[in-house]
Amino acid sequence: MKWYEIISRIDRRIIYLLLTFFVVLPFFIPLTIPQNIMPQTQKLFDFIEAIPQDDKVVLISFDYTPQTMPECRPMAIALLKHCFARNLPVIGVSYDPQGPGLAVEAFATVVDELNAHAVTREDSLVYGEDYVYLGWKSGRIAALLEMGENIKGVYPRDHFRNAVDSFPLMQRVNNYKQVAIAIVLAAADYPLDWIRYPQTRYGVKVGTGLTAVMAPKYYPFVQTGQVSGMMSGMKGAAEYEKLILDKGYAKELGTAETGMNSQSMIHILIIVFIILGNIGYFFARRKKSES
Amino acid sequence: MIFSFLFKDNPFYKFGEHLFVGVANGYYIALYWHNSLRPNLYEQLAAGNYIYVVPLLLGLMYFTRFIPRVAWLVRIPIGFMIGWGAGLSIPAFFQAEILRQLQGTVVLPAIFADAATGVWALIILIGVSCTLVYFFFSKEHKGVLGYTSRVGIIFIMIGFGASFGYTVMARVSLLIGRIQFLLGPWLGLIE
Repeated sequence: MKWYEIISRIDRRIIYLLLTFFVVLPFFIPLTIPQNIMPQTQKLFDFIEAIPQDDKVVLISFDYTPQTMPECRPMAIALLKHCFARNLPVIGVSYDPQGPGLAVEAFATVVDELNAHAVTREDSLVYGEDYVYLGWKSGRIAALLEMGENIKGVYPRDHFRNAVDSFPLMQRVNNYKQVAIAIVLAAADYPLDWIRYPQTRYGVKVGTGLTAVMAPKYYPFVQTGQVSGMMSGMKGAAEYEKLILDKGYAKELGTAETGMNSQSMIHILIIVFIILGNIGYFFARRKKSES
Repeated sequence: MIFSFLFKDNPFYKFGEHLFVGVANGYYIALYWHNSLRPNLYEQLAAGNYIYVVPLLLGLMYFTRFIPRVAWLVRIPIGFMIGWGAGLSIPAFFQAEILRQLQGTVVLPAIFADAATGVWALIILIGVSCTLVYFFFSKEHKGVLGYTSRVGIIFIMIGFGASFGYTVMARVSLLIGRIQFLLGPWLGLIE
């Protein structure tokens, strides 16, 4: 077999082995590959920075799934840290059936970490006062529209079956008028429903944290201002982690930043494979035409 | 078990696959019962709100597909859902995805207050126009139409490239997440 045939027919198992090697390598040999901040991530950060304290709440829709946790979970953690550091109350909801367990885990991770360093009651995060997780609802379009009139009508009880009326936070939140921004962390087209229905009818500001595969579809919505900021994939999450670290809202970078080192290595490897494959293809074609 | 499929199909992979399907089905049944059917139907009927018989009947009509003699009844809930969905979606779709997107494509003099924004706005206008011309099939793509559609192809290819790049990033992220779990919480080799 000629060299150009070898490089254009590399066994897929060799490719998988190399991929695994280059994913694992940065975990043991720390690398510092600089990450630039993309404008759409900065916009989301700036939007939350500009929300006045003691005014409106941030609504986060946890619609990611276990398989997309590497991309969306660091976004959720970074967002929650940012909101809590600024004393912005957070209301969590889910419209993906796989969302509730992941939302509860994300809240617990951040709340436990922040409460571990709390000295006074004011420093602590209290469920029902600083944050609430309302849980999952089926029939999301009807629910999204009804929340514009009365959130407690859609969610009379929270995820843990407590009466929502009993929470001090929910006594001052009736509908979208008290919501500064709804941020949808999703692995499917849920943000589009927020743009189509609550935003069109009630003017709700929408932010997104999306898996990378969904990001190209949402760039036009960022350009028109329908999306007030967007984190795209693991890179978006790493950027947000860096933004909150630089601002002093976090003590260290999260898992997305570490993952981006592997990501950069893999991208270089894939580019090399694409070039090799093309060289092999063109040489094979030239030899064929000569013969 | 699931990663063993990368080598080749094997009984361990099959076991993992079937286990996943079983667990997922169990999860969804429990979730829909506790969060949807029980509070929205069973508890309402038990409390004497008999208007909920209407959605119950509409839901049951879906199952008439399995009885050929009354299978036509399934058209009633399907018709209801199509009517509800279309009435709700069409105006929202036009507003959010056509009118606002058209507004975003229109280049106004105010955009040129910032030179870079103005240039990007022009590029978007050219890209949208040329791409739309590429999908105009009522006339042969020759002359000006041919040149314009070829520019449209370039924009489409750039779009495909961006989508492919993002897809690679998303798929690699999934692998990184699993490796982080295997090396961290599972093996304890990394923090």
